[in-house]
Amino acid sequence: MPGVAFAYGSVGGYAQFVDHAGNAIGNARSAEGFSFDPNPNLSAVHIVAGHAPVGPHQVLMDLGTAHKHHFATGQQVRVLLPGKPETFTISGLVKFGSADNLAGISLAAFSLPVAQQLFNSREYYDTINVLAKHGVDNVALQRAIARVLPPGVQVVSGQEIASEYSNAISSALSFITTALLIFAFIALFVGAFTIFNTFSITVGQRTRELALLRVVGASRRQVFRSVLAEAAVTGLVASLIGIGLGVLAALGLKALLGAFGITLPSSPLVFEARTPIVALVVGVGVTVVAAIAPARRAVKIPPVAALVAQLEDQRDSLRRRIGLGSGVGIVGLICLLVGLTEPSIGLVGLGTLALFVATAMLMPIVARPAAGVLGRPLAALRGMPGRLGRENSMRSPRRTAQTASALMVGMALVSTIAVLGSSLGRSATSEVNRAVAADYLVTSGSVSREVAPTIAKLPGVETVSTVYEGQFDFKGSLSSLHAISPVHLSRTLTLQLTAGTAAPALAAEELLIDSETASSNALHVGSVVPVDFAQTGPTQMRIGGIYMQNPLVGSFVISDKLFVSHFDNPLPVADLVRTTTGATGVDRELNRALAPYANLTIQSRSQFEQKSQSQVNQLLGLIYVLLALAIVIALIGIVNTLMLSVFERTREIGLLRAVGMKRRQVKSMIRSEAVIIALLGAVVGIVIGTGLGVALSWSLRNNGVTVISVPLGSLILFLVLAALLGLAAANWPARRAANLDVLAAIATE
Amino acid sequence: MNTQTPAAHTVALTKAYGAGETAVRALDGIDVAFERGRFTAVMGPSGSGKSTLMHCMAGLDAPSAGQTYIGERELGQLDDSELTELRRDQIGFVFQAFNLVPTLSAGENITLPLNLAGRSVDREWFDYLVGALRIADRLSHRPSELSGGQQQRTACARALMSRPELLFADEPTGNLDSNASAEVLEFLRRSVDEHRQSIVMVTHDPRAAAHADRVVFLADGRVVGELASPTADSVLEQMRKLGS
Ligand SMILES: Nc1ncnc2c1ncn2[C@@H]1O[C@H](COP(=O)(O)OP(=O)(O)OP(=O)(O)O)[C@@H](O)[C@H]1O
Ligand SMILES: [Mg+2]
Repeated sequence: MPGVAFAYGSVGGYAQFVDHAGNAIGNARSAEGFSFDPNPNLSAVHIVAGHAPVGPHQVLMDLGTAHKHHFATGQQVRVLLPGKPETFTISGLVKFGSADNLAGISLAAFSLPVAQQLFNSREYYDTINVLAKHGVDNVALQRAIARVLPPGVQVVSGQEIASEYSNAISSALSFITTALLIFAFIALFVGAFTIFNTFSITVGQRTRELALLRVVGASRRQVFRSVLAEAAVTGLVASLIGIGLGVLAALGLKALLGAFGITLPSSPLVFEARTPIVALVVGVGVTVVAAIAPARRAVKIPPVAALVAQLEDQRDSLRRRIGLGSGVGIVGLICLLVGLTEPSIGLVGLGTLALFVATAMLMPIVARPAAGVLGRPLAALRGMPGRLGRENSMRSPRRTAQTASALMVGMALVSTIAVLGSSLGRSATSEVNRAVAADYLVTSGSVSREVAPTIAKLPGVETVSTVYEGQFDFKGSLSSLHAISPVHLSRTLTLQLTAGTAAPALAAEELLIDSETASSNALHVGSVVPVDFAQTGPTQMRIGGIYMQNPLVGSFVISDKLFVSHFDNPLPVADLVRTTTGATGVDRELNRALAPYANLTIQSRSQFEQKSQSQVNQLLGLIYVLLALAIVIALIGIVNTLMLSVFERTREIGLLRAVGMKRRQVKSMIRSEAVIIALLGAVVGIVIGTGLGVALSWSLRNNGVTVISVPLGSLILFLVLAALLGLAAANWPARRAANLDVLAAIATE
Repeated sequence: MNTQTPAAHTVALTKAYGAGETAVRALDGIDVAFERGRFTAVMGPSGSGKSTLMHCMAGLDAPSAGQTYIGERELGQLDDSELTELRRDQIGFVFQAFNLVPTLSAGENITLPLNLAGRSVDREWFDYLVGALRIADRLSHRPSELSGGQQQRTACARALMSRPELLFADEPTGNLDSNASAEVLEFLRRSVDEHRQSIVMVTHDPRAAAHADRVVFLADGRVVGELASPTADSVLEQMRKLGS
């Protein structure tokens, strides 16, 4: 065609390297095979060592994979493919742009004819790369090419591809960004408690000083402003430090990703002006807002307070506190209930927040008796120091409650996640039994087509069903679609039908949907719905059956034949194996026969159950790590409060030392107080968190959470852990108290 | 125990604050002994070093030079833990104010040193003390619910509960009116007479000093005089003499 300088067809597909130890590298989704394009202007990769692949036994490998798994040019490497695995010689190494590989994806490049044969597309190309002649209008050329091609083939410019990629990446990242922002918000929320508490205590401690200011003529407004100004300065300094640490953390994270073999394109870190501005505004804002209530308390200090000895912890009206706290709590509960039934994540979040605030408001009321009860065993255990620690935790219920509140929030979230996770895990396990009739599951991101016939020939195997997974557009939204053969369906998969049929409907090229989808879309057997497949375009499908939730096949099932006709050379994701009754040693046979396919996971049904449990656990682990941040902030709050208390009680600690309290006993006293505060926060938090977790699990009852399970063991562990963390938090204040100069303490008035 | 050794004594006890030109010699080579079973008052103008002497003798402060002894034990030889035990088991304290732990009841304050030591409480002795100090009906009250006199009497009971070798009292009646003072002083006198308790008491009040067996006068960190069997008048006269 005129205007075209160069055109080169390419094909791609699944190709996963096997390392020297015989394990598949990475996962199937991040293993790309494609035909190498000799034109450097068209190819996304360029050779940095060796030469382009020639003949049927050569392959190019990306530099990242080569480095990480110690491969070099000239070495042999086994590659898992849609068909049988094969061994190749590495002819050279490639880079993707400036990076060693593409965000952790391993790249295997073959010569075009080899790629066509491997990826089963001998007669056609997946893609044709076109390089326009210099000076040719890209848009016009794009239109011209489109005119000569059959419909269904897309012609896109390089720019469009680039923006499509970057869109795909940013939408994947936006989930991570949202998750991280949620945790940042939690951290700020917990931090606000600590700030509020600190300012409450310091205002209390400076009562005399503030009153003196009022005596010499400072107006209420000036006192108010002075407290807020202090908060603003504190917030500013802390935010600046936080931004600095954030940049360091980002650098560290990049290095960490690199260490895991995920090299990002070597662009420098993006530091937008927006980031520090938002951080400063949020940091200073939260600090000032948290200091408003203490500042108002400072304003209420009468000038006469400068003259009277010691104003006792001025209690504002108990009734008001109870009224306000219960009010906020009820609003929170309503938000939560509506949010859970709606369902609306925003309302759930708001309700949870309100519930935390209400609990923090009400906690001072119960703090005194609660600390007394929690401290009783401690007092018995540690003698006089424990006794004094208990008394100290009870002497200012508001301070104790506020300090414990921060930990309460953290512990509540952790417990919520624990209950939810346990329920999810238990539900998944019980679901597997109801969903799968097969005895073995052979799974991977891409199961070679050769696997099912291989298994079928093994002794003791009754039948094998192949499962495909892809995406299609269902009534306008992208949904996950599974496919399985209707033959021997009930021998491998358990579909509990509420309406219609399973195997006959599949054989008739009809769609099966789960009951949840049916009810939310008001569909029933016989409904005809519009669907759209990326490769073959829009069409209509009749609903042939409705089944109860099934974790293995999700919400949509069609027959394997229909699936293959709509997708381009799809690879199965699983083979379900049913053994003949009484067959033994099938797992040994499976493992032996499938040994060349390094990427396959062969699991018995019970192993599969454990796997789904352990996947939930992995996710839990990640969330726990992020929530640990909130716990750490709460612990800093405990350190802070105890330091202020030690400072405030200098005289008293001096007296105790003078009449014979040993340093060890002083430490024990401070530690006891810390443990009581921590336990108070933990107990209240765990109770609230368990409630939230049960409520959340219950609200997901139609989404596969069929069992509500409260992990008592974990919750008790959290309680013990909280006590230990409290002990650790007390370390510094305890040392400070123990090292007080007795004489100076006695001299302090 | 050797009745010849005093309950406490010092040898060339010196305490200096600061260094060089600006150094203040709060105690300047003090040799003083406090006999067993006797009630000694320490008097002197403000800043003469009375409290400093008390702190050094009780192991609350370390001297710059010289030695202090409780019985035959030299305090300079003891580490922090041993000093703490000494204070807990062998020395009683009554300060001018802030004698009690606010979170504990009066009764608990009295037994605090014994509890810290993990020792059992001698009930008879406890009942005797609270009876003699007339605080038996106040034992379950917190210090904030007691009058100043009751607080100081509670402090006296706390100080004597462990039957210490020596009771140090630094202006124990400084914040009390004359009636409340008299009650505390009469109790201290009684514990010397009836239980051979050794007491050292700092005071500014000649009438308080008159309860003692002997008065030691300090000025500028030195012992400048002594008076045996004092009366309020003889103390005043001596003070006037020293003042001139
Ligand atoms: N920590 C200190 N640093 C510096 N100088 C001190 C310190 N403590 C006491 N002094 C000084 O030591 C001297 C003796 O003080 P001390 O408290 O023993 O006097 P005092 O006789 O008890 O007086 P008062 O009757 O007023 O209680 C004073 O000059 C005082 O200023
Ligand atoms: Mg003094």
